[in-house]
Amino acid sequence: MKKIRLKGRTEFPGIIEAEALVSSMPLQGFTNVNRDKGYTTERNHPLFKICYEGKVLVFPSQRGSGGFLRYGQGKKPAAFIHTVASPLNVLCALQAHVPAMTDFEDDPMKYIETGDIVLVNADQGYIEITKKD
Amino acid sequence: MTNVKLTEEEKRMLEGEQGKVRQICMEYLVEMCEISGAERLVDLDGTGDMHTPGIVMSPYYGISIEDLRELVAAKEHFKIPTFADKSPFPEQPPIHGWESCNICSYRQAGIRQDDPSFHAKAMHKEEFDLLRKLGMITTHSCANYLTMTYWPTVGQHCSWFESSQIPYCNAVLGARTNFDGSFATCFLGKAPYYGMHITENRYATVLVKTDRLIHTDLEWDVFGYAVGCDVKCDVPVLTGTAKPTTTQYQKLNSAIHTGGAVEMYHIPGSTPEAPTLDFALGGRKPRRETLIGETELRRAYEYLNYHTSDTVDMVYLGCPHLNIVDLMKLTAKMDGKKVQIPMWVMTAPWLYHSAEELGYVRSLANAGITLMSGACLAAMGAVPEGVRCIAVDTAKQANYVTGCYPDDDVKLQVCYGTTDECIDAALTGRWRGEWR
Repeated sequence: MKKIRLKGRTEFPGIIEAEALVSSMPLQGFTNVNRDKGYTTERNHPLFKICYEGKVLVFPSQRGSGGFLRYGQGKKPAAFIHTVASPLNVLCALQAHVPAMTDFEDDPMKYIETGDIVLVNADQGYIEITKKD
Repeated sequence: MTNVKLTEEEKRMLEGEQGKVRQICMEYLVEMCEISGAERLVDLDGTGDMHTPGIVMSPYYGISIEDLRELVAAKEHFKIPTFADKSPFPEQPPIHGWESCNICSYRQAGIRQDDPSFHAKAMHKEEFDLLRKLGMITTHSCANYLTMTYWPTVGQHCSWFESSQIPYCNAVLGARTNFDGSFATCFLGKAPYYGMHITENRYATVLVKTDRLIHTDLEWDVFGYAVGCDVKCDVPVLTGTAKPTTTQYQKLNSAIHTGGAVEMYHIPGSTPEAPTLDFALGGRKPRRETLIGETELRRAYEYLNYHTSDTVDMVYLGCPHLNIVDLMKLTAKMDGKKVQIPMWVMTAPWLYHSAEELGYVRSLANAGITLMSGACLAAMGAVPEGVRCIAVDTAKQANYVTGCYPDDDVKLQVCYGTTDECIDAALTGRWRGEWR
């Protein structure tokens, strides 16, 4: 089984392994996320109403309101993996207290597809991707 | 033990030597540093702005109303001038005009914003009486900068919240804030030192060009959204535009932090940290250039419009909250007219009082318009029952309001265009807007 390891910066510690859910578009919070259902409600979004609860949520960046922190409340992902960091992720991690990583040696969006298994080792600062095929 | 470099006094706070509340606030700030990668805290010399009541900052860090009472009894104060943005959470009731706000509250069917007992509870009077004694100035607006009357000056370190206000503080005022305004930052007067507090991070890295002169309110709004989508979290320098008015800055700031998460931008010759293009870029070449021209603007405009029918059920203006000049202009335009569908207009609570004195509230009411303050439809999470298509004049509201209704059986549509097109829709019930 092909495994890919990427080093990154830990935002919030912890170790978890789960299936990836990858968003090709930046994610947006506030009214465009439903924390009770655990999915984005942004119209025309590739993850529209696809539940991220228990998944390693992988996305390029975040946008919009401070209500982005709602991704860290209610039905939340198992971990957050994102290419670019901003204070919105800080607000989210403060709510979620699940493993979160960013600033990787190479863009994780290039390697992870939905359905891959991702080991997030935020205690030691790396992720390990097991491709689904 | 944390790796964050703390002063001796900060260590004492963290160890609880200065009381429980300072300890909780310091723990919260240290965790913010660890997540963001900030090596230390910065002492704030500007102002604070936060969602309120805000005493529960996360599931792990919060204080109680009893703690607030004890702070008041001990004559404690917020360390920096601190403003409340938007109406109280989580209900987000309008401060004025709630009596006409016939919508359910916070996605709770059956509990309505126009119910007096609900409104009284949603105003969280006891918390705010205490917060005001601690020094909080309860402006309650997403566009707090309209009524603060005391702005941070260039270079001052601040801690603000609210997406549209972050770029306003950084880019328009030239003060320095990350998106982190909270009870902890305002009470201690400290914030994690990273991001926009550091000069190096404030220079533009993306050069934005346009082939259409950006000069109308709608153009600035669409342009802001499209730039945000393109540059995401980077700092752009915007070239080829006219100089924005105050209204246009309001629209630009809310749109650019909706399409993206732009905390800082430059407009050479207009924003204070961009006397020249070269200065905005910090004397370096941009990392990349991008064109937000006719094609990109039209694409953003079409994305923000989301309707199959031209029948409009409601018009909503005031995202961000309308300034006093826009209220004056709207009142003049509506003189002698009568809307055919509900038209709600939102402003800042302190401007509502001014609008009353100026006679605008009565004039707008005569035209059938409801003026409200402090809240917004998206924040309340609902539109009046039966409304299936709403007309708005800002990208931010157009982008968010449909998120409240993602299900097919109650799908909400949105018409997006100029203020005049929205007024036309209010008078006719039809949408005749188009990209010109």
